[in-house]
Amino acid sequence: MDIAWYLVLSAFIFCIGAVGVMVRRSPLVILICLELMLNGANLALASFARMTGTHDGQVFALVVMIVAAAEVVVGLGLIVAMFRNRLPMDVDEMSELRG
Amino acid sequence: MSPAAYGWLVLAFPLAGSILIALLWRSLPGRTAGWIGSAAILLSFLSAVGALVQLQDRSEHERQLTSSLWDYASTAGLDVKLGILVDPLAVFMCLVVSGVSFLIHLYSVAYMASDRGYRRYFSYLNFFVFSMLLLVLAGNFVILIVGWAFVGFASYALISFWYRRRTATYAGMKAFVINVIGDVGLVLAAIILQRDLGTLDLPTVFARAPEVFERNEWLIVAVCLLILVGAFAKSAQIPLHTWLPDAMEGPTPVSALIHAATMVTAGVYLIARMHPLFELAPTAADISAAIGALTLVFAASVALVVTDLKRIIAYSTISQIGYMVMGVSIAAYSAGMFHLMTHAFFKALMFMAAGSVIAAMAGQQDIDRMSGLRRAMPRTFVAFLVAAMALSAFPGFSGYFSKDEILAFAAERGGGYWILYAAGTVAALMTAFYAFRMIFRVFGGEPSEEARELEQGHIHHAEPVNPVTGEPEDTDVGYPGPEHHIAERDREMWIAMSVLMVLSVVGGVLQIPGVTHAIEHFLDPTFADSRFADTNVSGNLEALALVVGGLCSLAGIGLAYLLYVRMPGSTLALADRLRPLHRFLERKWYFDELYGVLVVRPLRALGEWSSTVFERVVIQGMVGSATAAVRTGSTIVRVAQSGLLRYYALLLLAGVGGLALYFLLVSR
Amino acid sequence: MLSILVFLPLAGGVLAALVARSDEYGGRRAGAVSTLFALATLGLSIALIADFDSGAGLQHVEDFTWISELGIHYRLGIDGINLFLIALTALLWVAATAGSLLAGPDAERRPRPGLYFLMLALGETAVLGAFCAQDLALFVLFFDLMLIPFYFLIGIWGHGNRVQATTKFVIYTLVGSLLMLAAAVATGILATPDGQQPTFVIQELAQRPLSEGTQQWIFLFFAAAFLVKMPAFPLHAWMPDAYRAAPTPVLAVLSGVLSKVGAYGFLRIVLPLYPDATVHFQELMLLVALASILYGSVMAFTQTSATLVVGYSSIAQLGFITLGIFALRDEGAQGAVLQMVNHGLVVAPLFFIIALLAARAQGSDDLRQMGGMAVRAPVLAALFLIVALATLAMPGSANFVAEFLILLGVFKSKIAFAIIASAGVALAAVYTIRLYQRSMHNPVGPAVEPREMTFAEGAVWVPIVAVIIALAVYPQLILKRTERSVSRSVAVTQTAPIEPAALGGPNEAAALGGPNEPAALGGAIERAALRGPQ
Repeated sequence: MDIAWYLVLSAFIFCIGAVGVMVRRSPLVILICLELMLNGANLALASFARMTGTHDGQVFALVVMIVAAAEVVVGLGLIVAMFRNRLPMDVDEMSELRG
Repeated sequence: MSPAAYGWLVLAFPLAGSILIALLWRSLPGRTAGWIGSAAILLSFLSAVGALVQLQDRSEHERQLTSSLWDYASTAGLDVKLGILVDPLAVFMCLVVSGVSFLIHLYSVAYMASDRGYRRYFSYLNFFVFSMLLLVLAGNFVILIVGWAFVGFASYALISFWYRRRTATYAGMKAFVINVIGDVGLVLAAIILQRDLGTLDLPTVFARAPEVFERNEWLIVAVCLLILVGAFAKSAQIPLHTWLPDAMEGPTPVSALIHAATMVTAGVYLIARMHPLFELAPTAADISAAIGALTLVFAASVALVVTDLKRIIAYSTISQIGYMVMGVSIAAYSAGMFHLMTHAFFKALMFMAAGSVIAAMAGQQDIDRMSGLRRAMPRTFVAFLVAAMALSAFPGFSGYFSKDEILAFAAERGGGYWILYAAGTVAALMTAFYAFRMIFRVFGGEPSEEARELEQGHIHHAEPVNPVTGEPEDTDVGYPGPEHHIAERDREMWIAMSVLMVLSVVGGVLQIPGVTHAIEHFLDPTFADSRFADTNVSGNLEALALVVGGLCSLAGIGLAYLLYVRMPGSTLALADRLRPLHRFLERKWYFDELYGVLVVRPLRALGEWSSTVFERVVIQGMVGSATAAVRTGSTIVRVAQSGLLRYYALLLLAGVGGLALYFLLVSR
Repeated sequence: MLSILVFLPLAGGVLAALVARSDEYGGRRAGAVSTLFALATLGLSIALIADFDSGAGLQHVEDFTWISELGIHYRLGIDGINLFLIALTALLWVAATAGSLLAGPDAERRPRPGLYFLMLALGETAVLGAFCAQDLALFVLFFDLMLIPFYFLIGIWGHGNRVQATTKFVIYTLVGSLLMLAAAVATGILATPDGQQPTFVIQELAQRPLSEGTQQWIFLFFAAAFLVKMPAFPLHAWMPDAYRAAPTPVLAVLSGVLSKVGAYGFLRIVLPLYPDATVHFQELMLLVALASILYGSVMAFTQTSATLVVGYSSIAQLGFITLGIFALRDEGAQGAVLQMVNHGLVVAPLFFIIALLAARAQGSDDLRQMGGMAVRAPVLAALFLIVALATLAMPGSANFVAEFLILLGVFKSKIAFAIIASAGVALAAVYTIRLYQRSMHNPVGPAVEPREMTFAEGAVWVPIVAVIIALAVYPQLILKRTERSVSRSVAVTQTAPIEPAALGGPNEAAALGGPNEPAALGGAIERAALRGPQ
């Protein structure tokens, strides 16, 4: 089976996610786009696993999912905290790390 | 008890006295501290007598004993024990040091009575005697250096005894630093000996040196010259003499003890002790003798013009030590040691009398301000007169025999040594002159205001001022306390002076040329290995020296009488006519100025330069440039830290993308 | 036993931090606990001296494998070189801790006393660890650990320009430490023959010679680290600021003990592990030492701050120590070890005394403002005088014996250096007496209120003066015990062939352990012989 199509699809999803992270300002959307990127990568992992016939890639994909879940928990928690503190919902405004 | 045990006792008493007084200082009432200190020294003297008796009981070959308490520093080839060497020379020195010291302690009991630092004074004084005895009893170089430095320290402590005076602290520092220079010389000499001979034990060093070094080899000459640096620093010989006149800032009994009778003769003792080395290096011995001769002329010439009473005596001391250094350097060991002893007697006496005079003048030391004290202070006058006659080698007095014996020996050596003889004779003339200059100026003439006051029964009182600068004194420190003590009133002072007067007159009997040889015989075991042990001065030369010496003495006294009594005022005219010479002498041959230009100022300038320029520019500059580099680098990197999250994401992706692209290209 | 010694202070520090709650007496309680533990440590170190066998080599060895893949051991041991440095550390830390406790108003105002005593105790643990460590990696660990507490001690509780001072201090020592870390790793790896386990145990590394080129750069890295720590000219730029900013008790141990770790490192690590490079760079190191002596002395001579007079004099004294070590003779190294102890003993009381002086001169240590204090403070003046005389290595003090040995060693190897260095002895007299006179003598300074020291002020450092006097009377106490280890450390670098006896008999081999010991020992002798007379 040709996995090229799966890879192309995963690349598309990844790129959409990446562009979204870069151009959007809302932290919620950025978080969603991050999820997109992770899922793109997951798709690629699963495809490669299928191609080589081993389970390594699937295991990795599972790990990534767990990490993604954890990340969403932290990220959403932060966003809720920002809402609570009435901070602006704009990542460009939050540039306290400027050197 | 063996002589060595007595030797330890000699050391133990003064040390115990010093520590006792130091620890109990708060609870010792009145003059107790003085009596404790004096008793300690008296016991020490008696122990020295014990050592003498024990030593005389032994046969001549068994008169050199060593004894040690414990290992002091024994490691890596070094073997130094806390040990002493008891032999006739050491015992002789112990007797002189502890004997004269005891009398000066006795004198101080009264003289210092109203000084606020009374207990501190006696603690220091006892410590000094301990150090000096340690020096003369030392069994190896390290202990010798320890005693040597302790003496230097004691001298420092006593010179700056009145420590609120800037002049006193400065003089103390000068003395200390010059003494340390001497220590360094000794240390280097000891290091060379340890390296080449493998031992620092005095008898072993003397035994091995001739086996290892050839006669006049440069190394042994260097060793001897380094030893001379030590000896000259302590004995105030050119070029390391400048501290001694300043050392007169200390209390007068200190001047008597340390800067006249005992400590400054340590250099003479050292040369005598090291005679086996010096005889291996005749060049160094000759240099030493020449410097001794130069110093004795120099100091005598300066003493002619100085007007500070104590400083005249100080220069006189330098000059007399010049005789001794000359003597022991030309191998006239017993003559040198003999002169050391008689000088200790009459110089201590002279300082005691001077102290009494200064007390009567309420601290004034300038002889221009003194006159006519003879009737007011008869006892002091007699004492001063005896001391001055002994100093100017008046026939029959102790100084007469001892000094002329050295000169006779120089004549006996012949050749170039005649120059030394001539120098000694010229200086003898000057000595007699300045000795009686003091007598005539201080005691002769019309009674001064202070003298008249004293004749009416009370001692002149004045606000204490610094005798050098004229600044008012801090009364907290006292000078020397609010009450002054003179020999006419205080029994202790008078007893001490009387004993010394007797010794100054009859001390010469011990060794009258051609008649008695007590000292020579006693010291014989120590100097038996000398090449000159058998050199005897011929009768003719001895007679010549005695006659010429006596004539010089009489001529000097006569000249002083002529100038100061018969034609008063003529000296001023003389000084006026010879202004450049007078100035040259008055500025002490410009030695202090020379050192200022050569050593002190360059060193200070170097220090200033180091701390202002070098430290700031180079050392801190290294840090500065490092931080500057970091700062510039960080300003550049800062630009990347925009704080924009999306911008970071872009950079991240670009980086990952770039890497991926790179690997793709490479893999192809 | 040694582990207890090393970690006892830290335990005390932790306990102190726990008991120092924020009530009124929290600071006192913490200080008292800390002092008790420091005293216990001192007791242990004295027991070690009493128990020491001068004939044997390394003793009380504790050896556990720590990271087996890298051959890193947790290995502690004492021999003649570190025995008295450990005792010195314990003694000075007792003084520093007690000094912090008794420092009067300073102690009352100190913020966060629990943390302060914890940091002080951590410093002691780190220093003791560095002295005891017999494994290169462990040494580096403890060496770097020393930096942390002192960073906080000066940064939080210092005065004046403390931030700048700590920054400089940290940058300098950190650069040195990193160089040393790199050099230590390189030593461990490069010395490992193919197919063998790497090791970091110093005694084993000594049997694995490095090539001369490698030795040279590693030597320079180590030298940089140690010279900064001392500090030596021209790497002393952190010293003036740090010394002026550090609180007195911290300064006492900083100058008294930490500076010795550098000098100790040369004897423990550099000489045995890099003998060829040591010989190669001998003259360079002697030059650095000489420059330190002269520069330190001249600077001390012109400073107006009493603290800096002592600070620069330390540079000069450590110059003497370096000089002694790199004379590469038994005498010099013996003198250096003795002088390390002596200098620690004199410099700590000096700083405490200067603090007392400053307290009487309205808090300023400026010598121009001082003077005349001896009038009302004779006891203080007398004790100060004793310490000052020991500092200038007056004959009769143990410092003199040490300097004598150092000069003797240098004289035997390089005469010219010895002669120039002896000028430093005379200069020491100038600056020390100047320090003493300017503060104690002369007319009373404008802002001075002379008063005698109190019991609490003196209790901290007067016992140290007693130790100084005891050592002056009997320096052999130290010399006897250090002789064997020191000559072993120096022997490797000596160019002349050494007879096997000099490397120690069966005792030594037993102490080192391991079955291949005799062969390895033979190897060392062979190496020394091969270098032969050059």
